[in-house]
Amino acid sequence: MNTCTVARRLRHVPTSALGRRLEHGDVLFRAVIALAALSLLGLMVGVGLMLWLNSQPTRAAAGWSFLTSTVWNPVDEQFGAVPFIAGTLTTSLVALLLAFPLGLLIAIFLAELCPARLRHVLGFMVELLAAIPSVVYGAWGIFVLIPRVVTPLGHWLMQTLGTPGRFPYLPIFEGPFFGASNLAAGLVLAVMILPTIAAISRDVLLAVPRSQREAALAIGATRWEAIWQVVLPYGLSGILGAAILGLGRALGETMAVTMVVGNVAQLSASLLRPGYTMASVIANEWGESRTILYSSALIEIGLLLFVMSLLLNATARLLVWRVARKTPEQRA
Amino acid sequence: MRTRSVLLLALLAVVVLVTACAPKTQVVKETVVVEKVVKETVVVAGTPQVKEVVVTPTPKPMDAPGSIKLNASGATFPQPLYEDWAFAFSQRDPSVVINYAGGGSGQGIKDIKAGTVDFAGSDALLKDADYQEKPNLQLIPTVAGAVVLAYNIKGVDATITLDADTVVKIYQGKIENWKDPAIAKLNPEIKFPDLPINVVHRSDGSGTTNIFTLYLSAVSEEWKNGPGAGTAVEWPVDKLGRGQGGKGNPGVAAAVQNTNGAIGYVELAYAKSNNIRYAKMINAAGNVVEASIPSTMAAIKDAKFDDRLGAIIVNSKQPDAWPIAGFTYLIIQKDYQDCKKAEKIVNFITWALTDPGAADRAAKLLYAPLPKEVLPRVMEAVNKVTCNGKPVVSK
Repeated sequence: MNTCTVARRLRHVPTSALGRRLEHGDVLFRAVIALAALSLLGLMVGVGLMLWLNSQPTRAAAGWSFLTSTVWNPVDEQFGAVPFIAGTLTTSLVALLLAFPLGLLIAIFLAELCPARLRHVLGFMVELLAAIPSVVYGAWGIFVLIPRVVTPLGHWLMQTLGTPGRFPYLPIFEGPFFGASNLAAGLVLAVMILPTIAAISRDVLLAVPRSQREAALAIGATRWEAIWQVVLPYGLSGILGAAILGLGRALGETMAVTMVVGNVAQLSASLLRPGYTMASVIANEWGESRTILYSSALIEIGLLLFVMSLLLNATARLLVWRVARKTPEQRA
Repeated sequence: MRTRSVLLLALLAVVVLVTACAPKTQVVKETVVVEKVVKETVVVAGTPQVKEVVVTPTPKPMDAPGSIKLNASGATFPQPLYEDWAFAFSQRDPSVVINYAGGGSGQGIKDIKAGTVDFAGSDALLKDADYQEKPNLQLIPTVAGAVVLAYNIKGVDATITLDADTVVKIYQGKIENWKDPAIAKLNPEIKFPDLPINVVHRSDGSGTTNIFTLYLSAVSEEWKNGPGAGTAVEWPVDKLGRGQGGKGNPGVAAAVQNTNGAIGYVELAYAKSNNIRYAKMINAAGNVVEASIPSTMAAIKDAKFDDRLGAIIVNSKQPDAWPIAGFTYLIIQKDYQDCKKAEKIVNFITWALTDPGAADRAAKLLYAPLPKEVLPRVMEAVNKVTCNGKPVVSK
């Protein structure tokens, strides 16, 4: 007996037969869950409020220049968040560009082409990848990824594409290059957000109604055409949502990034140079921030990160909901 | 009495056996607490000596075991030592439980100002603003640590020597390559490869960075007026794209070891316990020195304390002093409201600073204990601690 039949049966039971006691239970249950939901909201508001209030000294002292200055000098108490915002966006976008296509391909394989038995094994692996602690990713980045992959790749990119005055020249691959870099952080992040993107995209594809595929195949489409022209466009907004949730994870990632990004608060166009991210600077400098202005500058960076993640996650949710609402029929 | 001496003999035999197998510099120490007399058996290089130290009798009535909890937080650099000291002290006085929570100097200062801890640890001095806000605070230097420059140059196996000028220029980004004549001049026997220098610094705010930048500021006017000194600074070499930050001592060490041509500063204790190669320095007196506990203690000898017991000991003029060194401090209150706590804090610090066993524990963990030249000045401040205006230590 599946849930649908249970629901149908319940609907046929006359309300009086259920009695008043269950109605009491309903009220209590509703109150409890409403309270739980409200506590979540309260928590969000509380965190936001705390960040807003505690960043007041910097907001008063630096004003909007906090968002436009590239100088981060704790000794002279000059604080600008631009290098960190830029570093966060750069590393996260690199990660997304690398992880999104791969994650989508994994999702298509798992949802459309994979034999059922393999699907469980692979799905489990994807979820396992998400469970690895980020500090392990960081250590792997320092001891394996940087010396074995990033260093040769970086030197090759710098020599072939990043030499000024020689064609082809791309400033994003300009040196000097020593290993720890935006590129290294992007690569580590790509591995870390891959499971998020793959798992959510798979769920979105599984939510596309079977009738869509059947219709496509019935009018003579091949498997390939059915996937690319019917299933993917149908789930597009949900897949975008998966990408944005992955991006959200990349934005907030702290430990692994700190270990490989180089932690240099300088604005630079090059992916091969070291950078810095918002989460990293808070983790790095909070413990020794001596003065109120210094602490509140770090808190203001936290506030910016909070707002950024909030906006991104809200967008992602909206996109995923849109596709979910279009699909009343669930595939088994 | 007979059984005691037999026990002692057996103990000595064990200790001698252990030392025979251990490297000859190792110090093995057993502390036996018998009534009010503490026997400290210290064996240095195979010669056993038994010292009898009379301990100040615990005042009656005895406090219940674990009844007095002292909470502290702050600098992470001395944390291993403070935890070791706290453990050893709680064996002497079981009524005391000391909980040192770390968290960084900044955290410690915030906590003691807010009154949430009984004392704090800090690598950095308090600022004038801190004293204006809380005039009740007192710094107590406990031990000193040294900072060394670790490096990784493929093809160079000898220990290199650097001086103040080259270190400043490397961190300013003015010396860009290991082949630079300034480095070659200091190391005539070493052939350096043509290799760009990658400069590594701490990414996290840290007392180590504070000591290192204090040194750079002390030897270079240009550095003092430029980046200056602090737990985190704006590194000039970062602007040139040749710097990178590593998190903590392990982060810097990993970055240095993974990058050919890298140089980075780490704590002596960390470098020694991880077998990391570090440079010798030419000190203010013009001598080539190696970083060690004795050369760090030499740097403290002529420490000039200000009236709040803060002292900067970088670039010491002593002939055999290691130039990049700094104190770490406890921050206590001059006057406590809880007399029991005040008494125990004073007892703990007095023991930590004056007991030879405590000094041994510090040296074993590669911290330089306070030399006798500066001890009276520090103890004077410890003995001045009051409880509700009444002195804790009776004259």
